[in-house]
Amino acid sequence: MNPRRILAVTRKSLSQFRHDKRTLGFVVGMPLLMVIAFGYTFGGEVHDVRTFVVNEDQGPFADRLIANLTGDTLDVNRVSDPDFAIEEVRAGRAWAALVFPANFSTDLQARRATIEVVLDGTSPPVVAALLGTVRAAAERTFSGVGGVAALSLSTDYLYGSANTRFIDSFAPGVIALAVLLATTVFSVIIVVREKSAGMLERLFSTPLRSVEFVVGHAVALCVIAFFQSTVVLAAALLIFQVQVVGSIPLAFGILVLFAVGNQGLGMMLSAAARNELQAVQFIPLIIFPSLLLTGVFFPIEAIPAEFRVLSYGVPLTYAGGALRSIMLRGWGVGDIALDLAVLTVYTALTLLGAAALVRRQA
Amino acid sequence: MAKLPPERVPAIVCGGLSKRFGGVEALRGLSLVVPRGVTFGLLGPNGAGKTTSIRLWLGLTAPSAGTAFVLGKRIPPRTVLSRIGYMPQDLAVYPDLTVEENLALFGRLVGMDEGAIDRRTDEVLRLVDIAERRGDLVSTLSGGMKRRTSLAAALLHDPDLLLLDEPTVGMDPELRAAFWSYFEERTRRGRTVLITTHYMEEAGRCDLVGLLHRGRVLAHGTPVEVKERTGTSNLDDAFLALVRGQRAGGG
Repeated sequence: MNPRRILAVTRKSLSQFRHDKRTLGFVVGMPLLMVIAFGYTFGGEVHDVRTFVVNEDQGPFADRLIANLTGDTLDVNRVSDPDFAIEEVRAGRAWAALVFPANFSTDLQARRATIEVVLDGTSPPVVAALLGTVRAAAERTFSGVGGVAALSLSTDYLYGSANTRFIDSFAPGVIALAVLLATTVFSVIIVVREKSAGMLERLFSTPLRSVEFVVGHAVALCVIAFFQSTVVLAAALLIFQVQVVGSIPLAFGILVLFAVGNQGLGMMLSAAARNELQAVQFIPLIIFPSLLLTGVFFPIEAIPAEFRVLSYGVPLTYAGGALRSIMLRGWGVGDIALDLAVLTVYTALTLLGAAALVRRQA
Repeated sequence: MAKLPPERVPAIVCGGLSKRFGGVEALRGLSLVVPRGVTFGLLGPNGAGKTTSIRLWLGLTAPSAGTAFVLGKRIPPRTVLSRIGYMPQDLAVYPDLTVEENLALFGRLVGMDEGAIDRRTDEVLRLVDIAERRGDLVSTLSGGMKRRTSLAAALLHDPDLLLLDEPTVGMDPELRAAFWSYFEERTRRGRTVLITTHYMEEAGRCDLVGLLHRGRVLAHGTPVEVKERTGTSNLDDAFLALVRGQRAGGG
């Protein structure tokens, strides 16, 4: 072993790093970003669960209990119309409606009081946090009077059920995440490979237009996305028996639309990568916001409020949200119109962006 | 400008064509006419601006100043791209496609129908002498065969203007001779071939040459004219004499 030769190899590697500032930044910055992001989003408890409270109680006890629904787990909104409260849950704008009946106080004294809880049960962590908070408030309110034993929660699940498993709630998001990763990474690498091999230049010396190049690739990748979506959906349904109450073709359509948008994104990102090494660095940049900010594993309510606004800028929020609504709530096209609109705009913008950028790379 | 019949419109006309990349001036006011039906050799050392000129003519990059007309169309010459064949210096075929799949792709991109693609694939693969490998993946071919595939893709649609960037690098003399006779046959049919090369002796077979140095044309004309003007016996010496003359002239 010759130390001078060893040192020569070491110096060569460090010099290569020095010349590639982006890789240097990636190596140092990415672990830091990971630790911070995971710490904030996975360490957090569920907050601000939007809940409507309807108090029809003639006596004093419901008011006392409601006053004890403190802390930041629930975002309590008091309304007088129970139908309105339930409709908000049905529309996906709130997780629960708590209805205290007119004879709540007298029933409590007779040791047979109930609170009617109308729930969106599609997210077990949210349901657990919500019911836990209500029980804790009851404990605090009535511990002296021994009223807790006399109180029961009558749960009515609009979506999902007490049997909804954690895997049911995160499967739609994970399916969308799998499609996101595979399609984006694939299209980044395909375009970068064409660029680094001088093929883009050769292609654009023919009458080929950049939009034709982008759409041609998107169609090819769409065929692949079609098989990919079939495989992930089939695996979720057959191996894990994931709960699906809605339309599978609609879920499939959402996945394919999302896949095409991701291909556009991949082709846009490839504009910023000079080689395959740099292209690979985009992968965590796509994974982390998608994993942490979009409620794939944990509800968006578990993300600190100051980060939560970011989640509305990540397309997976809409794809995962739409899939969850279709698979767990049985919603149709009309109900997921917003998600569908956002995904359509995302797809159009990324494809146009890709067409604009791809030719400059030839 | 009086309207010329299409067959008499020069293949390439450029005036004051310049291209800067950051602080580097790759092309400095290139003015040149390449008539129809000739083999034109664009000669010069590496970095003279040969590839930049071709990229500008194809509309792959925009000039910093000046303009050019290719087959009568101002650059970028989008409407005539299907009448141009281009073989870049880099290997520009897909290694993970077969020889004939590569040719079919480029044939379709220039608007050939499937029958014509089939017919011409036979012809051009015989010409470049890799007909027996047409079903093989390009990645399994030797370096020379890959370049011949790339040339075949440029020839497939029998273009009016063929732009070949250093086409004969890495080719054996026998094949090189076959190419030159093919180019001569093409020009007899009124087609134009523009070749860049830094092999000066090879350029002696061109009808016309343009000598490029640091983004400028030092001389152009027939090889004989250029040699006579510089009082030299070959193009290598002619080039060196012109460079020395330019330096002495403070250019």
